[in-house]
Amino acid sequence: MIQIDRLHYRYRAASPPALDGVSLDIGRGSVYGLLGPNGAGKTTLISLLAGLRPLQEGGITLDGEPLALWRAAHPTAIALVPQDYAFYSMLTVAENLDFFAGVQGFPRRQRREHCAAALAFACLEAVAGRLAGELSGGLRRRLNLAIGLTGAPDLLLLDEPTVGVDPQSRRFLLDAVKRFAAAGGTVLYTSHYMEEVEAVCDKVAIIDDGKVLLAGTLAGMKYGGAAALRLELARPLPEALAADWRGRFPEMETAKTTVAFPEFAADALAPIFSELAAFGVAVEQMEYGAPNLEQVFMQLTRHSLRD
Amino acid sequence: MRDRHGLAALFIMPAVFILVMSLALAEPLTAQQTAAYAVLDLDSTPVSRALDDELRAVDAFEKHARAGDEADARRRVEAGEVLFVLVIPQGFARQIDDNRTPTLRVLFDPATPRALQEGFRHRIEAAAIKTWLTRALERLGEEIMLPELRGAVEGVGAPEIVSETTGGDGETFAPPSAVQQNVPAWLIFSMFFVVIPLSAVFIGERQRGTLERLFAQRTPFGLVLAGKFAPFVLINQAQTVVMAAIGRWVVPLCGGEAFTLPDGGQAIASLWLVSLAVSAAAVGWALFIASIAQSSEQATVLGGAGNIIMGTIGGIMVPRFVMPAAMQPWTRLSPMDWALEGFHQALLRQGGFIDVLPAASALVCFGFFALMAAVFLGRRARN
Repeated sequence: MIQIDRLHYRYRAASPPALDGVSLDIGRGSVYGLLGPNGAGKTTLISLLAGLRPLQEGGITLDGEPLALWRAAHPTAIALVPQDYAFYSMLTVAENLDFFAGVQGFPRRQRREHCAAALAFACLEAVAGRLAGELSGGLRRRLNLAIGLTGAPDLLLLDEPTVGVDPQSRRFLLDAVKRFAAAGGTVLYTSHYMEEVEAVCDKVAIIDDGKVLLAGTLAGMKYGGAAALRLELARPLPEALAADWRGRFPEMETAKTTVAFPEFAADALAPIFSELAAFGVAVEQMEYGAPNLEQVFMQLTRHSLRD
Repeated sequence: MRDRHGLAALFIMPAVFILVMSLALAEPLTAQQTAAYAVLDLDSTPVSRALDDELRAVDAFEKHARAGDEADARRRVEAGEVLFVLVIPQGFARQIDDNRTPTLRVLFDPATPRALQEGFRHRIEAAAIKTWLTRALERLGEEIMLPELRGAVEGVGAPEIVSETTGGDGETFAPPSAVQQNVPAWLIFSMFFVVIPLSAVFIGERQRGTLERLFAQRTPFGLVLAGKFAPFVLINQAQTVVMAAIGRWVVPLCGGEAFTLPDGGQAIASLWLVSLAVSAAAVGWALFIASIAQSSEQATVLGGAGNIIMGTIGGIMVPRFVMPAAMQPWTRLSPMDWALEGFHQALLRQGGFIDVLPAASALVCFGFFALMAAVFLGRRARN
């Protein structure tokens, strides 16, 4: 549905690029996760997709049409759900929905239908008459999402939609996102919660410094990587054995009683355990396998703080 | 509209100002100024007593008392018993007879405004000249054997002077009362105070991402602005009606004069035009403040301080006509002065559309340029 092609964007002419050649392919009816540390370029990309900023270089097409033309033909088809509670706390839930549906120019009857559908989708019927400012954090998140649905969009841009909610509300929101996609909608989902992304997204892109570092299916990302081995020994690795292993495994890293191999073949496991036993070194803990999404993310974006 | 506390402040603040200031300034702005005074007559001659009698006939001088000596005179002034003491020196009559200029001293309370001191001094001067003239004619009558000459100026008072302001059509009107000055002044001040609730709404929308959401929904920027403009213009118009009603009915209940609206539909329409123009200026100003402030706290400080400065310069706190002549041109720098001028045109001079047009146009232009600056700054911040 969405083709993002070599997108470049700078906020000021002399500033480093916020986006530096980003290309993505997002299919209709999918939930696409966008991961990256703070300042990576996620918000800029979402702003460009939402039409809040003009394109500078590169292109975005939807169903083969340039973004601007597609938006002109489908003015309410892209909805942005910001991270903050982007509604009016002095208005009731129903009034908020009616207001945001109203500014999109729907006729009265259609507006009522959209509002009712959004209210039902987010299970907010029971609190429709309550002031938005009096709602709990979970209900506010649901209202924030429901407002995004008042235009009956095809594409939902969700910017960290579950920040600060309890596990039950988070589960509800994730299920709601899945239901939206199952009904044919497309979702671009940004979050810092890896388990959420693993639970809800079909494809993921990790971006940093305005560049796509990795993009693909979750399965490919998690299990496509080589298996790593990490051993916690009862005492430091004997020098003679360490010298032998460095020759055979050049990428091996040691620190006190820890020995780590970034890539390790399964058939080499038995021999190294035998060699350790021969030197009388007991293994206290062992981790072996492909890295999870968080490990992939941390490995790609490095560990340093960004803010 | 559901921010009841904010709305209440927009109505209660000017209502209190109008009530308090109309009553507090009723005396200085409208009542005839009278002064208690005393005379220390060190000459004690018929001529000095004649001067004393002349002063007694002046309406502006309220009470006549005699001081025993200069120490007593000073004590009376310091104690506040009298506003001033006229000291008639010893030899006053002889100096007049010798064609020398006598010196009259006036002891004033230092707190007496300079303008008031000058006013009293001129009245004493007039009384002294009349006394001198009477004595001169009396002496001339004695010399030419025509004693009737003395009576030539007896019973002759100074001409009565009535202060009036003129309207554009040649009619005359009474000077403004305190309530006529204070209702428009504090109404304007409170209309500009929409800067605080409006900027809070706008900054809240910006900080929470509501504006981004609206723009992502392709809501036209003009509609977003109109959504702010229309309700606050309505609030401003409600302020106008409520404050006029308070001036008309509540101030008299508290002992002040009633606020009067001009006669005729055209003057009322002019008044409404000015009120709309003030709204345009106030809402434009509020949107400008909202665009430069980073937080609602900052907007409260910037907007509030800006309003107070505009009110101080613009003759809201201190009426322009009370300011020294050198300061009065500076009031033109403040949009609140333009607004006050527009209201005075309609209220006091019964002005029509043409008369209020300069003030209304200036206010609308101010609002327009403030709005354009807000739009420019908003676009720059988004990009």
